[in-house]
Amino acid sequence: MSRLSIRSFSSSPIASKVGYSTVQPVHHLIPIKKQTLGKRFPELNIPKDDIRSPQYKPKDVYQDRVNEYYQNVLKSDLLLHYYEHDSEAVTGNKARSWGEFSPYAVYRRDRKPKGLSRATRDIKPVTPRNIPELTGISINLYNKAALEESWINISARLQLAQITNVKPKVVYNKSNVLPWKVRQGKECGCKVELEGRDMTRFLSTLVELVLPRIRTFKGIKDSSGDKSGNITFGLSPEEIKFFPEIENFQELFPNLFGFHLTFKTNAGTDERARTLLTSLGLPFYKEVKNVQ
Amino acid sequence: MRINSVNASTQRVVNQLSALSASKKQPKLLNLCKEDLIKHKTITNAWNVYQRKVNEKRHIQLNAQYKSIHEAMEDLKQTSPQLYALANKPEKKKKFPLDMRMPTDYPPTKPWVYNYEPSQKRK
Repeated sequence: MSRLSIRSFSSSPIASKVGYSTVQPVHHLIPIKKQTLGKRFPELNIPKDDIRSPQYKPKDVYQDRVNEYYQNVLKSDLLLHYYEHDSEAVTGNKARSWGEFSPYAVYRRDRKPKGLSRATRDIKPVTPRNIPELTGISINLYNKAALEESWINISARLQLAQITNVKPKVVYNKSNVLPWKVRQGKECGCKVELEGRDMTRFLSTLVELVLPRIRTFKGIKDSSGDKSGNITFGLSPEEIKFFPEIENFQELFPNLFGFHLTFKTNAGTDERARTLLTSLGLPFYKEVKNVQ
Repeated sequence: MRINSVNASTQRVVNQLSALSASKKQPKLLNLCKEDLIKHKTITNAWNVYQRKVNEKRHIQLNAQYKSIHEAMEDLKQTSPQLYALANKPEKKKKFPLDMRMPTDYPPTKPWVYNYEPSQKRK
């Protein structure tokens, strides 16, 4: 306050100057569930893994043979396979700075990485701590027929729920494209994210019951992948018939829908992810390009 | 006006929708007595302890394996640099054989193939 008493040459006094806080406000970022604060709903404060909670779901209700096989057999095989002596982490393509000397660059966002729009991750050598693992399977079903008649999406959702044992989420169109009859906010399919036991159960049915019965199936394309260890392939409606949940109730599913499967791994690179997926029984094939 | 009957295809869609909705499938909340609750908690805790022990065992074994691989390679590097170079060559495109499958709940009728030959011969 002592500064206020000092007279300055400037016409506007210091006290009336507009200041601003450099500290970011945080109070909007903390979500508080107000219901849980009071005593009115005591069951909301019970954790989900407690049997008294209404959200309790029993976890280990059957033997998970895929996970056991991975833990007991594959992990050590993969550790040996990926071992490279004296290897170091390969740094990814990172965002660059604008240089230290320009005052305009102080709060500016970093420059994009060279030749790319996004930074890539470092590729670390495989140790017992980061052996590649299948973390999830995401299934995307794009339903073109639902664009015209939205009730058609109900059977697509039920089909996915039957196959995966997980309730699918509805997907909506994001943009307007007139020639495709795509309108913003319209139902256009559904998706499912599988993890844990649902994932391993789905994987075992896919590998043991479905894929071996598809006559034309050669495998997943060797070029498939998003460069960071997630591999995708698709199944057509004729191939979905072989899922036992669909096959035994064919009259209930008159129209079937194909979908895309993405195997999400923490392998880091596609090559590592491919090796991991072959160990779980998924075949790969190399495309032969036409030579003229 | 109330519609009592709908045509078959509409009824099928209605049935499908009711199969998707969770309202009827939600099981009743269990009201356990104190003794049952204690039993349940004891069993769950014991299971968690067992799982932790198993995980620790696996972790120790993998670390030991990694250490022994490292030591062997270090040894090979000293004794024979040529063999070391061959051994340390990364096999990025190598795949697991399709014949290697995850074990099933029950053993197959023919448990072991003695004169095994790989099904696909690679070039």
